[in-house]
Amino acid sequence: MDQDWRRIDIDAFDPESGRLTEKDLIPPYPNNVTLQDIEPTINQLRNLASSGDSISAIKLATSDPPYSGDENVKYQYFLAVMTALSQVKQSDITNIIKQLSPKQQDVLIKYLYKGMAVKETQKQGGVLLAWFEKLTQVAGINPVVHYINDRKTV
Amino acid sequence: MLHLDPHNLLLQKTLAEAREAQLAGRPLTLDRIVSDFDYTTFHVSNAPEDKSMLWVSIRSKAYQTVASCGSTYQSYLKDKLEAYPGIQLSSQTEAAYDISLIVDLNKLTQEGVVYLSLLKVLVVSYPFHLAFEEFDRLSKIPVPVDEPPVLSDVLFNIKHRDNEQFFVKPSNDRVTVIFETIFEDETDKIFGKVFLQEFVDARKRNRNIQSSPQVLVSHEPPLEVQNFFNTHRQQAGSDSDQKKYITFVLFPRHFQTSELQFSTICHLALFRNYFHYHIKCSKAYMHSRMRYRVNTFVKVLNRAKLDDEDEEDAENKNGEQEHTRKTISGRKMVY
Amino acid sequence: MSQSLRPYLTAVRYSLEAALTLSNFSSQEVERHNRPEVEVPNTSAELLLQPMQIARNENDQVLIEPSVNSVRVSIKVKQADEIEQILVHKFTRFLEQRAEAFYILRRVPIKGYSISFLITNYHTETMKTNKLVDFIIEFMEEVDKEISEMKLFLNARARFVAEAYLGEFVY
Repeated sequence: MDQDWRRIDIDAFDPESGRLTEKDLIPPYPNNVTLQDIEPTINQLRNLASSGDSISAIKLATSDPPYSGDENVKYQYFLAVMTALSQVKQSDITNIIKQLSPKQQDVLIKYLYKGMAVKETQKQGGVLLAWFEKLTQVAGINPVVHYINDRKTV
Repeated sequence: MLHLDPHNLLLQKTLAEAREAQLAGRPLTLDRIVSDFDYTTFHVSNAPEDKSMLWVSIRSKAYQTVASCGSTYQSYLKDKLEAYPGIQLSSQTEAAYDISLIVDLNKLTQEGVVYLSLLKVLVVSYPFHLAFEEFDRLSKIPVPVDEPPVLSDVLFNIKHRDNEQFFVKPSNDRVTVIFETIFEDETDKIFGKVFLQEFVDARKRNRNIQSSPQVLVSHEPPLEVQNFFNTHRQQAGSDSDQKKYITFVLFPRHFQTSELQFSTICHLALFRNYFHYHIKCSKAYMHSRMRYRVNTFVKVLNRAKLDDEDEEDAENKNGEQEHTRKTISGRKMVY
Repeated sequence: MSQSLRPYLTAVRYSLEAALTLSNFSSQEVERHNRPEVEVPNTSAELLLQPMQIARNENDQVLIEPSVNSVRVSIKVKQADEIEQILVHKFTRFLEQRAEAFYILRRVPIKGYSISFLITNYHTETMKTNKLVDFIIEFMEEVDKEISEMKLFLNARARFVAEAYLGEFVY
């Protein structure tokens, strides 16, 4: 036998076990966002970021993230958000955060954590940490607590 | 203790004691084994019939290869040792030892004691001695300016440890000494790299030691000894990638007089020991440092613990004494 | 403290404070068991919370994995070259061998990290949470400092030893 039978997870075979998987926790969404649906928003986001209107860019980025999209949709959107975040001047960060609603701040921190977890964007750790620091200065620990418990991922 | 002394302290003390006891008329009964670096062992014992005579024997890993460097080894040792009164090279060697000396304690001088304690260095000094002679010969051959230097085909190879050896190579303007060393431990390997790099750089950086020998480090056998490795394909393979070659280039200023020669040999013979000794020292220091650091971490963590005493005081102040009930012996009741 | 280190430690501090809200939670699957859920393989997903990864760059990272009754904190210590690698390895091993004294230290780091801590509700009940956070922060600061000091020491010693040896040849 190639596996120790004591280590077989029998509960996984029992439909009645009541164990939940990651999928079971995702809240039901009315419809799934596709790449085509989100494309205009991404373009708008990139335009705002490159034209220097960072306040609108961040506001847009954090108001309606594609929670219901698949990994690729989320990733494309995420990259656009990263571009927007990295183009903001250090001195403007606090000002922008102050203009965000608590809901938007919660979304912002999701992107900050994701940015630090994804290998390609880890190099910008300094920028993300600056945002993180300013965010906690404005909103305290609240966004972090919300992040830990929120099952809607970006 | 920064430097390692070339002489063997225990051997020196043993002999000095024996000499003094003999001069005071109370000869000692001796049968002592003294160890040194590189699997070297000395044996000091009384001659069977006469307590004023000592047998001093040495066994050294390097002896075999040193003796095969030239035909004049015995007479070289004899010349060097018998220059001191009371020391005589024995024609018979004690079993399991390489060289035996008969020492007459009545005639032995203070200098003789010191010289005997350098016996290990003396044993390996022979190839150096030959190399310096060869250098003398070569340097007297006139070299035309535009021609490549005369290359000697003389190369002395001394195996002083199980897996390690060194080479002495004379040429017409220098004598090159090449050590082969091996690091078994992963940490030693990396520490060794740092140390060796500093040996290479030290001379360039510090003006005061510019006249010291040039040091080179390589993974591959240097050109001087490549022929040797090509002909001797010895155990190349598994451990060859862990080997390092350290080259010392000695210029005439390092061996002009016989005193300089001897002190140069002393230092070179101890190079491997010195080098590995300091790696071990660094590791020991790191260890004690980590021990200290761990203690400070534990202290910080202990600060986080809730203090029982504090709780008690706080409760007493609040007049909630009934919460902490105690037995008659003063122990707390735990629910 | 260097300018780039401060935001990093702030982020770790906030994340830890948020994660260290643990409660006593008996196992749902095995009666009379009480296990740190973050360490249980195949645990029910609702007991695990969103993991937080805080990165200064590729080499300097912290992963915080919260669950209902335990938090696992893994730290990746900067290792710029092979000297630092071996020093970090030795140092963390040294700590792990003394894990009893550290209560919250995990004996084996999780894959990809240099050292891991496991904080359970038992620890937060017997220790002050904010001091535990202080400890982790101080640990992160000190480890970096210690490693670079040891490296400097090693170089300095090697230099001194080499010069002293070669100095003997100056006549």
